[in-house]
Amino acid sequence: MTDIVITGMGIVSALGRGVEATAERLLKSQPGVGRMRFLQSRHADLPVGEVPYSDEQLRDMLGITPDFAITRTSLLGRLALVEAAEMAHLVDTDHLRVAFVSGTTVGGMEKSERFYHDFLENESKNEYIALHDCGACTDMIANGFAGHISMQTTISTACSSAANALILGADLLRTGRADVVIAGGTECLSKFHLNGFNTLMILDSQPCKPFDKHRQGLNLGEGAAYVVMESAESAARRKVSALCRFSGYANRCDAFHQTASSPEGEGAYLAMTAALKDAGLQPSDIDYVNAHGTGTPNNDESEGHAMMRVFGDRMPMVSSTKAFTGHPTSAAGGLETVISILALTRNFVPANLNFTEKIDSLNFVPVTEVKTNVQLTHVLSNSFGFGGNDSSCIFSKIS
Amino acid sequence: MEQLIEELKREIIEVLNLEDMTPADIDENAPLFGEGLGLDSIDALELIVLMEKNYGIKLQNANEGKEIFKSVRVMAEYIQQHRTK
Amino acid sequence: MSIYIQSASQISMQEPLSEQWMKSPILPTVAFNSPLEPDFKRFILPAESRRMGRLLKRAVAVSLDALQKGGCEMPDAIISGTGLGCVENTEKFLNAVIDNDEECLPPTPFMQSTHNTVSSQIALKLQCHGYNSTYSHRGTSFDSALLDAVMQLQVGRISTALVGGYDEMTPAYFKMLGKLGYWRSDAESDVDSLKKSGINGSVSGGSAVSLLLANSFTENTLCHIDGAEIYSVASLQEMCDFYFEFVQKYLSQNNHVDAVMCGLSGDQENDAVYRRFVQQCCQEADVLWYKHLFGESFCASAYGIYTAACVLKDQKIPPHLFYQSPREVNVVKNILVVNHFQKSDFSLTLLSR
Repeated sequence: MTDIVITGMGIVSALGRGVEATAERLLKSQPGVGRMRFLQSRHADLPVGEVPYSDEQLRDMLGITPDFAITRTSLLGRLALVEAAEMAHLVDTDHLRVAFVSGTTVGGMEKSERFYHDFLENESKNEYIALHDCGACTDMIANGFAGHISMQTTISTACSSAANALILGADLLRTGRADVVIAGGTECLSKFHLNGFNTLMILDSQPCKPFDKHRQGLNLGEGAAYVVMESAESAARRKVSALCRFSGYANRCDAFHQTASSPEGEGAYLAMTAALKDAGLQPSDIDYVNAHGTGTPNNDESEGHAMMRVFGDRMPMVSSTKAFTGHPTSAAGGLETVISILALTRNFVPANLNFTEKIDSLNFVPVTEVKTNVQLTHVLSNSFGFGGNDSSCIFSKIS
Repeated sequence: MEQLIEELKREIIEVLNLEDMTPADIDENAPLFGEGLGLDSIDALELIVLMEKNYGIKLQNANEGKEIFKSVRVMAEYIQQHRTK
Repeated sequence: MSIYIQSASQISMQEPLSEQWMKSPILPTVAFNSPLEPDFKRFILPAESRRMGRLLKRAVAVSLDALQKGGCEMPDAIISGTGLGCVENTEKFLNAVIDNDEECLPPTPFMQSTHNTVSSQIALKLQCHGYNSTYSHRGTSFDSALLDAVMQLQVGRISTALVGGYDEMTPAYFKMLGKLGYWRSDAESDVDSLKKSGINGSVSGGSAVSLLLANSFTENTLCHIDGAEIYSVASLQEMCDFYFEFVQKYLSQNNHVDAVMCGLSGDQENDAVYRRFVQQCCQEADVLWYKHLFGESFCASAYGIYTAACVLKDQKIPPHLFYQSPREVNVVKNILVVNHFQKSDFSLTLLSR
């Protein structure tokens, strides 16, 4: 088959709802990280990238009644899915095999942690028991799709889940198992993983500073993003325009530690190099890297070293957009795919906010102010997860 | 002090799930990390929780632990000086 | 491209790391069934095991055992399915968050709670830097992992893959799922009752199954994978349509399906779907089952593939696998493994000698 192209995308994050709102905030360098409003936690002093809508507001947007049991992860997912499908004109699916691949890890935990005692002790919240697991979350999102889905699954590789969903989606297209794939990820904030990251002492009590010498950790975020992928022929047949090509991808494992990355960034290095090979590109072809760049001392140094190994002294423009969105864990690869495609198609590089001083051992500084009118041809997006689940995706301009 | 060291050894064995070890197997003067007991960064985080939970000592970041967790004796001395419970 | 199941290993309510169940199966008598565990010291050093939960130990053991049996030191990919992830550690951390009101929480159970813990710990143990992924999609979690491996073997990106299905059941989760009608009473958990119609629920078991897939054949090879697909379905008619499409694609002409390995579990709604499917699509085939030996869990379908692979290797169908009385000729050249989850996710895997 020929090229895989992206024909639609949808997003909701701390930057608001929709592709246009996201682009505007990125171009104006207005971060979405701030005060915790909806998550009920005693760590409310920690900054987070929270989606600026309550569950009730999200339900209203989607026309879901208050008595219908649904988790926040699924609400966010549905918003993003509907936008992506609309952009790709994916309405009449009669003669199409549409696959849906979603990444999540938190799933329904945000409700389970509130209702856990009810689950065990009374009958009041039983409907949420069945919504706890990751797969249930995907099913709930798929049910909000107007068309027909002929195959669906869920990936859970922590913070690289959404990137791996895109990778599986591309393989489903490449092996002829689907005509169109909707892929990405969704995650909402939960006390469970906020406290989990807190026990690892990798949360910054201030807005995060990716790639800065004095970075203290990450800010958790939430959101959902999906893209619609298909072959160039399929897009032509359906008369939809392609935003870009999904030109290469790879998934590799750091195999170093359950939560930490290796100092030399082996997994990241292998993922980036294999993605370049898959795309048939040289390192010098990459114009911009949307880094994983969480703001933890460990990730940024490790990822930086891996990039130095890949790009040498010809480092492309680099920025992490985590200071805009917080770290939306499983959804990160989805959000950053949309951001990478926006950069590619609208000729800009979003800023790596809150940066002041270079990390001693690295040979590069990130882009600190938004750059407009830049011609980008190939953009590489990194997503790395716990357990060394490292994936890289490359998006390229339609030639 | 010797009593606190014994207590600490028991707590370390329990919280780090050091199966097959007894307090007598831990040399209170040997390093906890690298050589000696061979603990790692996650164990350091567990020890930070232990200090807060059992002795009311709150460390702000993982780096502070490096000095305190040099050995069981150093840890016990630090606890004796700073404990709030 | 030919794809084979090279070796397999399991831990369940049957004799662990063994195919003893083919000759002398252990049959369930209660609804909550704990797996029989091997001596983990064979596979895991004490220093490694101190942070590992039960599921992780089982997963590492079956993975290393499958690799050893398959004569493979380093797979090109490690792909797992798990419907619920590491539940024991998730509950440990969740209870701590709730009970301690978000203070003084231990990092280890959180670290070991994520769904990808299993795949990544196996990679860590093997120092495997290859493709690594985890699927968590209810009853087709394992099927998704298998499909991913099959696709990558098919496009030639890898030549071996370690594919596993891992789930554990804790008393608390058992209780919660019980409220949704997942389980039977202990009094109705014997095999005869499981075959009786009109009863809801099944018996629970954990899953820990590991398969080594490869693109080359050796004398130890268990079977060939002719085809693997997953579908989302809304009706029996759709299932049948997909079946005929599948058969056309993967079954050579003038050939037929000798046996169907179904996820019959004793739950009347679940079983009715298999019965109707077999009636409409493959009436001539022998109907086999396996959940009466391994119990129900989100990754139970892994035992379906495992059981079928063992049967194909052995060339004989053990009598206790027949759900209905066998056809007269008991030769088995191929087995279609059929799995559905709540009539919505549906998978077909065709295995042959």
